Amino acid sequence: MKPVKSVTIIDDPQAHEDQHVHAVYDQIASHFSSTRYKPWPIIAKFLSDLPTGWIGLDSGTGNGKYLPLPADRPGSVLTIGLDRSRNLLQIAQHAGSEPGCLITREVVWGDVLGSGWRSGVFDYAISIATIHHLASHDRRKLAVQRLLQAVSPVHGRMMIYVWAIEQDELSKRSIPASGTDGSNHYPITGEDVFVPWVMSQSQHTAKGKFKNDVPSSATSKEVASAVPTLVAETPVYNRYYHMFAKGELKQLTVQAAKEFGLMVGSPESANAKGCRGVEVMQEGWERSNYYVELRRWVS
Amino acid sequence: MVRLITHNLLACHVKGCTTNNFPLVFQDVQVELQVAEFNPDFIRNMLSRLEWTALVNAAKQVGDTSLPPEQPDMMDDELLQKLHHVLMEIHVTDGAMVCQNCNHIYPISNGIPNMLLAEHEIG
Ligand SMILES: [Zn+2]
Repeated sequence: MKPVKSVTIIDDPQAHEDQHVHAVYDQIASHFSSTRYKPWPIIAKFLSDLPTGWIGLDSGTGNGKYLPLPADRPGSVLTIGLDRSRNLLQIAQHAGSEPGCLITREVVWGDVLGSGWRSGVFDYAISIATIHHLASHDRRKLAVQRLLQAVSPVHGRMMIYVWAIEQDELSKRSIPASGTDGSNHYPITGEDVFVPWVMSQSQHTAKGKFKNDVPSSATSKEVASAVPTLVAETPVYNRYYHMFAKGELKQLTVQAAKEFGLMVGSPESANAKGCRGVEVMQEGWERSNYYVELRRWVS
Repeated sequence: MVRLITHNLLACHVKGCTTNNFPLVFQDVQVELQVAEFNPDFIRNMLSRLEWTALVNAAKQVGDTSLPPEQPDMMDDELLQKLHHVLMEIHVTDGAMVCQNCNHIYPISNGIPNMLLAEHEIG
């Protein structure tokens, strides 16, 4: 098991993200991308179910692995990828290209807390493994509100994925145990951690499989003593994550929606015409992540 | 890449810039044409998302004058082909987009538009 390290955020959340998220992804972009290529099944299904002609936003697109989807109807929808890391965007720009056949994707360099779009212009928005990099509850809430704002008030669909404290046994990571037992304390708070990323040239050649995580308690000296010298010079980058507790993602989205002026529930729950709301279509845990699917509606 | 389909969605988001912040105006652009597969159903269904006049003007700014000034009621195959070309095959690789209201400049380089704002510009 590869432990992650608990962290307390003492500096400004934005400065914390700049140092422990944005700078890290720009450094590790191509190595990171080579290990991230499989779409999550629930998101693939979400994208497959979209009507032809819909336009969407992938907020925090990373290497753009969702931009070519749906695989069974390529080109039936258009997903625009937004990310804070320019180096990842350069990879995302050609996501899904085969050798000799370069396909160009639409990507935008921007912040998930920005709103550089006409309001409500998108039919759908996804935010996969992104909001957990924001270093305060208010910033995570604002990120959800930016998604609510980006999609159509009438039919906009959203899918949000974040890392869970509850990790499955296949995961390489173990999480420090501390008071987050999933019981219904209010408010539900997750865990702030650093997840180490090891840049390793030598491991690039090792059977095409990457070993990216080492115990974060290990100093570079200890790593050096355990493995060949080449690795001794490879830097370790600590990525910041807020790992979500059970129930926290739904609580966050409901709070974000209410403070955004939306009712939360089914369209039938509205008691008047012209009310604006959002419905939680599904929520759950899949392979160490929590997800929630939302739809906006007008009664 | 900034294709015109993307340009038609983007708006200025500088703090306080909430009127006349769309469309952004292309400036000093370099354009590249890339053939894309024609999907008439996609074009037909997505058209209602677009602001027609903004599209026609943006196309002119990148040197394409094939679209009629008013959106026709009937979409025949010839018009869908033209729209496909304008929306999906013209790539702005370098240059900038400028807000007509606050004059903020959003640079484009290597096909990637920079919509990041400085801390004090964020609304
Ligand atoms: Zn402006």
